[in-house]
Amino acid sequence: MQYAVQTIGLTKIFNDWWGRPKVRAVEELNLTIRYNEVFGLLGPNGSGKSTTLKLLLGLLYPTKGRAIVLGGDGDDPKINRRIGYLPEESYLYRYLNPRETLDFYGRLFGLPSKIRRERTEALLEMVGLKAVANRPIGTFSKGMARRIGLAQALINDPDLLILDEPTSGLDPIGTKQIKDLIRTLASRRKTIILCSHLLADVEDVCDRIAILYGGRIRAEGPVKELLQRSDRIQISTGPVSQQTIEQIRQLLAQEAGQVDVSSPMERLESFFMRIVSEAQARAQPTSGAISTTQIGSFLAGQPSGDLLERLTESVEQPQPATEQSATRPIETPTPVKQEILDQLVYRPEDQQDKGQG
Amino acid sequence: MISWSTGQRISRTRGRVSMGKILAVATNTVRQVVRMRIAVVFFVLLLVILPVLAAASTGDGTVKGRLQTFVSYGLSLIGLLVSLLTIIAMTYTTTADIVQCQVHTVLTKPIRRYQFILGKFLGVMIVDVVVLAIMSGLVFGITIYSPRLFRIDPEQMEQLNNEFFTARNALRPTEPDVSKEVEELYQRLVTSQELEQVFKGLPREQVIARLTQQKRLEKRAASVGQELMWEFHNVRLADPNGSLFIRFKYNVSSNPIDLQISSQWLVGDLRQLNQGVQVGTPIYRVERKDPVRTFREFAVPADAVAKDGYLAVAFLNDLDNDTVVIFPLDEGLEVLYKAGGFTANLLRGVLLILVRLVFLAAVGVFAGSFLSFPVAILLCLLVLFTGSTSGFILESFSFLGKNLSVIYDYTLKLLVQALPRFDLMNPTKFLVSARLIPWSLVLWQGGGPILAKALVLLATGLWVFRSSELARTTV
Ligand SMILES: Nc1ncnc2c1ncn2[C@@H]1O[C@H](COP(=O)(O)OP(=O)(O)O)[C@@H](O)[C@H]1O
Ligand SMILES: [Mg+2]
Repeated sequence: MQYAVQTIGLTKIFNDWWGRPKVRAVEELNLTIRYNEVFGLLGPNGSGKSTTLKLLLGLLYPTKGRAIVLGGDGDDPKINRRIGYLPEESYLYRYLNPRETLDFYGRLFGLPSKIRRERTEALLEMVGLKAVANRPIGTFSKGMARRIGLAQALINDPDLLILDEPTSGLDPIGTKQIKDLIRTLASRRKTIILCSHLLADVEDVCDRIAILYGGRIRAEGPVKELLQRSDRIQISTGPVSQQTIEQIRQLLAQEAGQVDVSSPMERLESFFMRIVSEAQARAQPTSGAISTTQIGSFLAGQPSGDLLERLTESVEQPQPATEQSATRPIETPTPVKQEILDQLVYRPEDQQDKGQG
Repeated sequence: MISWSTGQRISRTRGRVSMGKILAVATNTVRQVVRMRIAVVFFVLLLVILPVLAAASTGDGTVKGRLQTFVSYGLSLIGLLVSLLTIIAMTYTTTADIVQCQVHTVLTKPIRRYQFILGKFLGVMIVDVVVLAIMSGLVFGITIYSPRLFRIDPEQMEQLNNEFFTARNALRPTEPDVSKEVEELYQRLVTSQELEQVFKGLPREQVIARLTQQKRLEKRAASVGQELMWEFHNVRLADPNGSLFIRFKYNVSSNPIDLQISSQWLVGDLRQLNQGVQVGTPIYRVERKDPVRTFREFAVPADAVAKDGYLAVAFLNDLDNDTVVIFPLDEGLEVLYKAGGFTANLLRGVLLILVRLVFLAAVGVFAGSFLSFPVAILLCLLVLFTGSTSGFILESFSFLGKNLSVIYDYTLKLLVQALPRFDLMNPTKFLVSARLIPWSLVLWQGGGPILAKALVLLATGLWVFRSSELARTTV
């Protein structure tokens, strides 16, 4: 039980209807995730992240290889007892309300009703859905359902939390809450697997990451190490004259003096792009999405600019050369729509009042 | 941020926890089924139809006829709708959670897959039992209160109590041994070479079977002025002060103008007449006029049975008639006697329906474990339909030609025979003629084998489900 999660040559090939291999979703995956680690599984769409998680949990069976979760089998109830899982979509019963949902999942853990009630209320409070706790989930927005999905994954206070793109559909506050939650849980010595393509999230909270592409790991290691480029040296000083720089260069050529020399930190985004495009350049097969920087020409014609500008544009400048404008006088420009501003500007007390995302 | 004040271990006995999990899934399934609306629609439909049916059913115009029609159609309708409900709910609830992926959140919790499916099964059965209980309660209520509504006189009420609100056992005369006559007839046909002409190419056993039936009917036919007598031995009645009910149906060779048959009956220890012995027990003489081709019955006091349990029933085809009267085989003539109450009988009848529902639910689990929702429904409907008409289907097999029947014997027929005979388990047949539904039918003849088959199907479904790859979407 050295690792919280270990996979040995884990391979998943999806066959088509005739049994012919069609999609190589995960190939020869050797992952090791330690206890009390926040592990980020990155990769473009269709790179095999969700498939890996489903293999860990026994929702899919590996074509080859093995996955050991918390020292056992991912679909053994004894192991499940210690796992919390938030799938890629929330997958809840639409006719249950949040309270009933959490109570139901709590019962599956055999939690006594008192503890179920306590935890349900605490979790509803945490995800900010207490005010709508009696409305069926079918009426929720994606982000609201996501919050219940998260609460559901926490009902047993899991030792291993598996989150598949937890922030998808969430607003910025929800996203920040998830990051806070991950940090808190990490400080409580929990193990967390975080699957995402939102690099900023991962960069902030993960101890270690692996980048998947085409079902294979392309890079793996502690975030700090991966982002450190040892082939470059960055020198930072205060403002200095050209002459001094010249002198430093000379000095450096001979021997290092009183200068601050460090490795430059790369942004995860550029690192990720580099790894993925390297893999693409080598024409490595993926059954997922191939990312390009090209934008469809019909989209490229769209005027660029600030979101607010675009939203208010049509109000301020009525479309020219339409028949309407010929017959009707041009309306006086109206100011920026207040509701649009309201929606875009975050106000914390709103959040509290409505208790929703 | 959330704080878990206690890191307490949940210590409980395993059994209780796992039952708790099954119950959690069951409750959730009940909600799911209720949310499907179909249960609600069926429920409301029955709630509306049953009283309307009660008002609309007239039967033969008598109160008894009304009640018979109502109970017959009412229970059949309930049975059919609840069967459909079971099929739809069971296949939906087992397939929908996989298609809509809720299993991803549910089955990654510490619950075993068999517990999950058992929970679903239990949930559907809970809905079934509730709907069935309410609906049959309604039928019961309407039936019980109808006589008051019609303000019938005490005499009619007594007749109702004897012939409808009761549960009776039947005595049937033993069929006379006609094998010798049949054999002779067969040989005669062979030597006169008429056999080929009459029964074209039928195998020997089937020719014999038909000849036997023909001979037996001959023994149950009375030409004008002729009499027929049936004897019963070892008749033991629970209540010697009660009544016997002679139930019969006339088939005729040619229709009388008024479609009625006049008759005279003698019921009692008729040995006394023949041997000129002193009359010890009463012999009842009854004169009647009854319509043809409908079941009729009349009552005589139970003391007609002799001390040694002997009873004879004699029928005289009256000289007024001008047709041969034939009592059809099996139900053509029976002697009924009270053996239980109406309420308990109705309850057993509802249990018969429930047995059918358990079986259908098991078929639903089985079908849902490897088929998509619409296909699974189709399979279940096929099972329901075949099971309900299997008697008819099996019978029609026996009329197939020699060559075809070999093929069917080893394919379809085996399948049909493997299915439960729902047609034999139909409670309305019993309740309409106020016949006792024996516990043996509910438990052993019908219930036992059917429930055993249900168990096999359920186990197979669980096994398939246990080893299936849940996150695997099949397109
Ligand atoms: N049930 C399935 N049947 C066939 N192919 C699948 C199935 N599930 C996933 N795939 C394929 O496997 C690849 C990896 O998918 P997934 O793991 O969901 O990617 P992601 O990294 O975006 O989570 C994709 O090409 C996807 O189309
Ligand atoms: Mg995914």
